[in-house]
Amino acid sequence: MTKTQAVIIGGGATGAGILRDLSMRGVKAVLLEQRDLAHGTSSRFHGLLHSGGRYVVKDPESAAECVAENRILRKIAGQCVEDTEGFFVRLPEDDAAFEQQWLAACRALGLPVAPLAPQEAVRLEPNLTPRIAAAYRVPDAAIDGFRLCWQNAAAAARHGGEVLTYTEAIGIERDGGKVTGVTVRDALSGETRTIPCDLVINAAGSWVGKVAALAGADVHVKPDRGTLVAFNHRFTSRIINRLRPPSDGDIFVPHGSVTILGTTSVAADRPDDTAPRSDEVLKLLRIGQELFTNLADYRILRAFAGTRPLYSAAEGRAASRNFAVIDHRAEGIDGLITVVGGKLTTYRLMAEKAADLACERLGIDAPCRTAGEPLVADPAPGLLAMAKKYFPAGGAELAAARLGDAFGAVVRRLEDDPADRALICECELVTLAEIKEIAARATTHGLSDIRRRTRLGMGTCQGAFCGFRSVAAVCDAGLADKGAAELLRDFLEERWSGIRPVLWGKQLREEELLRGIYGASLNIDGAMHDEGI
Amino acid sequence: MKTCNNNIDACTACASCTALCPVAAVVRDFPGPKMAGPAAERFRKAGAPTDAALAYCTNCKNCDITCPSGVPVAALNMRARAEHVKKHGRRLRDWILAHGEHMAKLAMPGQPLTNLGMANPVTRQMLKAIGISGSRPLPRYAPRTFLRQYGKLRQQPFADKVVFFPGCFINYNAPQVGLDLIAVLQANRHQVIVPPGLACCGVPLVTGGYLEEAAAAAKRNLAALADYARQGIPILTACTSCGLMIKQEYGELFGADGAGEVAARTYDAMEFLLELHDRGRLNTAFTPAGGKYLYHAPCHLRAQGIGRPALELLSVLPGVAVTDLDAGCCGIAGSYGFKADRYDISMAIGQELFAKIKAAPADAVLADCGTCRLQIAHGTGAKVLHPISVIRKAYEPEYKL
Ligand SMILES: Cc1cc2nc3c(=O)[nH]c(=O)nc-3n(C[C@H](O)[C@H](O)[C@H](O)COP(=O)(O)OP(=O)(O)OC[C@H]3O[C@@H](n4cnc5c(N)ncnc54)[C@H](O)[C@@H]3O)c2cc1C
Ligand code: SF4
Ligand code: SF4
Repeated sequence: MTKTQAVIIGGGATGAGILRDLSMRGVKAVLLEQRDLAHGTSSRFHGLLHSGGRYVVKDPESAAECVAENRILRKIAGQCVEDTEGFFVRLPEDDAAFEQQWLAACRALGLPVAPLAPQEAVRLEPNLTPRIAAAYRVPDAAIDGFRLCWQNAAAAARHGGEVLTYTEAIGIERDGGKVTGVTVRDALSGETRTIPCDLVINAAGSWVGKVAALAGADVHVKPDRGTLVAFNHRFTSRIINRLRPPSDGDIFVPHGSVTILGTTSVAADRPDDTAPRSDEVLKLLRIGQELFTNLADYRILRAFAGTRPLYSAAEGRAASRNFAVIDHRAEGIDGLITVVGGKLTTYRLMAEKAADLACERLGIDAPCRTAGEPLVADPAPGLLAMAKKYFPAGGAELAAARLGDAFGAVVRRLEDDPADRALICECELVTLAEIKEIAARATTHGLSDIRRRTRLGMGTCQGAFCGFRSVAAVCDAGLADKGAAELLRDFLEERWSGIRPVLWGKQLREEELLRGIYGASLNIDGAMHDEGI
Repeated sequence: MKTCNNNIDACTACASCTALCPVAAVVRDFPGPKMAGPAAERFRKAGAPTDAALAYCTNCKNCDITCPSGVPVAALNMRARAEHVKKHGRRLRDWILAHGEHMAKLAMPGQPLTNLGMANPVTRQMLKAIGISGSRPLPRYAPRTFLRQYGKLRQQPFADKVVFFPGCFINYNAPQVGLDLIAVLQANRHQVIVPPGLACCGVPLVTGGYLEEAAAAAKRNLAALADYARQGIPILTACTSCGLMIKQEYGELFGADGAGEVAARTYDAMEFLLELHDRGRLNTAFTPAGGKYLYHAPCHLRAQGIGRPALELLSVLPGVAVTDLDAGCCGIAGSYGFKADRYDISMAIGQELFAKIKAAPADAVLADCGTCRLQIAHGTGAKVLHPISVIRKAYEPEYKL
């Protein structure tokens, strides 16, 4: 492979942000991701674009970063951000003194908070408990991690940046103390090769310790596990934070068609310790019920977990959320930079600081421009109008936002072939055109890759119906690089991992239907046996 | 109004409702109950606009009947449609059709719109201009309303009382059905009370998107009926849409006070008589009149989940042969089939039913719903009766009123 200036390891928000930043500064850069973009914590998170309100008391520095980045991301990542606003709600049993402390801290930081009469809060969010002692509005918003990663990658590509997914860094090559390249393994073929470069930026989130170790460097990161619960519908249209010292289960985030409740915080052994457990879910429900009295009636779609890349000696939630940019030259490893910690909300700032250092090392004098230019242009009004003919109400706007710069190609497919207008995923309004467009991309290797970019299978049926439809569509169009049964198994198993811990009530009925479809009607086990899988 | 908020969570996306929606079967532009109802509701909750295609839904409730998960699909559609018309405005035509009660009052003798007026070419032209189908005969108003005739009736007093909710169609267009019911109940030693102060049940207001007005009608009717319900006096309807409205939708759509109490005491007329029969209390001194009938079960009867009581009851009549047509929806859906842009859909839905009727000659077709009777008469030319009229006839001449 031809030489590049910088190799970035880790395709989460931070790595994708660095790729965009460096590419905009004219640095030739390649991003490596061991699986698909947003495979790590950048999709296994709460989806909250923090106003800063959560951290003002304990970690004002982090909060200040959130205040600033929140404003920037609304401007540059409009397609990823939904301006829901947020409430901070104190219940009678919560410490009133903390409320005062919180208010003072918000004012000191310039974080705009507006008091809200409890009755008004309930009028605006009728599912909230009426037992409200105090409520405030803050500029919280919802942010989509999948989109953010892909749209950063797409923006970087416009400036020459390159993304290699399913490419795992397995070695950092050095000549004396100087980094000379990264050895990678293709996760699908197993082939290995070395990419020569001048500089390596380790942005591997909870995996930074492992990646640093490839160069013999030491980074102490403690993966801290948090579990989240996704509900089938939006029972709040605003983000609801519990106004008390940050603890488990006190935030609800409306996200597209669903609501997400979280989170927990426990030290994890591994960065990929992401299988959620029923006891965690039950704990979240118990706490969440205090804010939403009818919570137990709402259908849970799935649970999921991610690990926070906490960079600090202290453990768990008390640790600073701040990030660090480490130049390993001090340890005698020239050309390795690690960026660790932070939040998704501050990904751009982290990328900027890491890219500043990278440019300094590369001797490049170019300012950061990521705060000024939007990731993707808004869809042209004509394009949107055209798309509206083919989507159910509201569907065209949703598709435009999730597809970013792929939207134009999808609309052309919709125009050209009436058969492509069929809704394959009826729960999340995904058309055949979209599935074909994403399936045809070089970075797509399975239905889960399509899912992350289109929301296929992320709604009510969790793959029961869209699973077999999309496999048929992908195989029919000759776009599959695996057999139908294998594609299905991978897709359904991935969905199952999130359903298993919440297998009761309405979700259990859905799962039984799914089992009937795949186990009995389609006899998928038999099909796999025949294919020798 | 929070009764059915969470029920979208019960939907498994199985699409059974869409497979059995009579409108989805004939209209390509209608996404069907699953997509228009629970699926769209998830996005409406997320701020998506309502879909104009909701206007195709007839509120026939076959989706609710089909759904294995108890999702109130039709109610979701009606609410969303109300939102839609609130935002995008309504046509004069839709106001008129939703307010049949006002219109009927205007059409009473001596009032500006008499039957003559309605039928004359100028009026027809006018109606056509506002979007009312010219292909369908408008229902004739009876010369004297049911309520007027009821006021003049002298019933035998009995200890057992029932309340009768006549509804607009019986009151203005088919008073004989109400009179037949009273005759049958008298023959069964029941005295019939029609309380003052009843309004239209609200079905046309709901389908027209006037939910607030419908809620007001619900309130008014519940106020007039609640006392009787509390005393344990059964409340009867002889119109399956009025019946469904009172039994189910007052609670489901409006969460109205006292809705549960009244619903628990409300019976379809045939359901009530069948219960008398089951308790051995039905007067079975029928004259063996005989007759060959076809029976159509209205959608709103099937939605009540009480089986087909008329069929069972009629089988008790000596010499009477009844065949269940079992042909789904007739297509008219109240005022729906009167709209010029819905007439063809309405007739297409009814095709199966019409064909079955034409293929099996009989003395009459029986249906418990007034607008079903209009549609069947229009689609087949057959004579169409409420089953109560056949039962009444079987009590003659002994129990002539
Ligand atoms: C439960 C939970 C809730 C959260 N909620 C919020 C929130 O609401 N708002 C907010 O702002 N922040 C939130 N956070 C924090 C935020 O999600 C993370 O800080 C952020 O996503 C980290 O992004 P990243 O790019 O640094 O890491 P990641 O997204 O984890 O990216 C690292 C990537 O590196 C890849 N990788 C690892 N090793 C290799 C290798 N050898 N070769 C190639 N690739 C490799 C991984 O596959 C992974 O995709 C939350 C975190 C958790 C755990
Ligand atoms: S009420 Fe009738 S027309 Fe409307 S969606 Fe249900 S089945 Fe279809
Ligand atoms: S509403 Fe009922 S019948 Fe229709 S898709 Fe959902 S579960 Fe199935």
